[in-house]
Amino acid sequence: MDPFLSFTEMRDKLRKWREDNCRNSEQIVDVGEELISDHGSKLGDDVWIIYEQVMIAALDCSRDDLAMTCLQELRKQFPDSHRVKRLSGMRLEALERYDEATKYYEAILQDDPTNTAARKRKISILKAQGKPAEAIRELNEYLEQFVGDQEAWHELSELYINEHDYGKAAFCLEELMMTNPHNHLYCEQYAEVKYTQGGLDNLELSRKYFAQALRLNNRNMRALFGLYMLAGRGTKENKCSVKAVEEMLESMQITMS
Amino acid sequence: MPIILTTQAYCKMLLHAAKYPHCAVNGLLVAEKTKDNKKDPSAPVLCVDCVPLFHGTLALAPMLEVALTLIDTWCKENRYFIAGYYQANERTKDFRPNQVAEKVAARIAENFGETAIVMVDSNRLTMSCFEPIVVIFDHHENKWKSRDVNQDCFEDWCEAQKITSSLLEGRSYEQLIDFDNHLDDLRNDWTNPVINKSVLDLC
Repeated sequence: MDPFLSFTEMRDKLRKWREDNCRNSEQIVDVGEELISDHGSKLGDDVWIIYEQVMIAALDCSRDDLAMTCLQELRKQFPDSHRVKRLSGMRLEALERYDEATKYYEAILQDDPTNTAARKRKISILKAQGKPAEAIRELNEYLEQFVGDQEAWHELSELYINEHDYGKAAFCLEELMMTNPHNHLYCEQYAEVKYTQGGLDNLELSRKYFAQALRLNNRNMRALFGLYMLAGRGTKENKCSVKAVEEMLESMQITMS
Repeated sequence: MPIILTTQAYCKMLLHAAKYPHCAVNGLLVAEKTKDNKKDPSAPVLCVDCVPLFHGTLALAPMLEVALTLIDTWCKENRYFIAGYYQANERTKDFRPNQVAEKVAARIAENFGETAIVMVDSNRLTMSCFEPIVVIFDHHENKWKSRDVNQDCFEDWCEAQKITSSLLEGRSYEQLIDFDNHLDDLRNDWTNPVINKSVLDLC
């Protein structure tokens, strides 16, 4: 990391990482800590969202000192905020004080039963405690109420994959594909799940979705490799030869650069 | 036939786990093919290197098959064979092999009967690396049983400890490439020549 980044470069980097939802916590702590301590006054109202971002990254890096500094500033500025309470809960989670953290979140939910962040943190605690079945159950209940929450559908698909329940994982990805038809990553993940499920019908679907992912983004290498793996398989009627895959790729003008 | 880890293998495993502390990670261990055909059955297998595979979701088949195919080819070119599998679970307190680990190990065992599973105990991962943090599982009577791990499981524990600690402090894990990184950008080299050179330079 270049130690001589300017103030605007640091601020812009943090913004980009926020927008992309990156979990590069060590870098965020490095840049954020310096930005706050050396340039805090220049940040204006941005400072609060940066405190939040740096605090969460600090928890990831076991920097409780930095996390507390950020949290205290946020508590001073927003004394009754549920958003800040959630951060306090996350700090307790990082310290593995799960029961206390759960109480924090339940207090938020008492006050505001529609607070999705608190509900999701409770589910994360279940995951951290190694209770995947309960996490899945709670997440399913959550999604009945908040059917449009894509992050939640994706988390649920991952939970199902880890439990080897590929059918249900596929269902979650189908939800995501319906609402995001242009997202090549969902197509490609769906194809991977179908492939893992196995069986002729699933492999056929897998091939179709790898092809779709590649059509949506011709640089998706996983989709390309997926197609290669499936070439030569399939029923006699549907047998997809390697040659056919290559011709198809040529017509789409995919080249490995 | 117990496996022994070289510094390079141990180092890269830990760097992989350190690069993605919030994910499960896995990879393969490779050993050199012996020249003589009569293998002494009690001779330990030296795992000279490892290939980091994936981080995050480990339980999907297609990319794993791609990786096994490509790595197999690479092994043949370098007179290596796949001798084991390593994994670090998402939850630090959990170091038992799960279904994924057992499935991959079973696949490897089709070609090499003495495949071992090396689980990384992330809970004990520290910068100083003062003790080995792997748990080695061997297949006995259809079950995976853990074996005592001590300095004898390493070609040179002092060297491994020193170099791993040094690379962790220097954040070398930021340059570690796993197969997932390669799939994101084909220019990323999963044989990790950069890290290998760093290890060599410190020897």
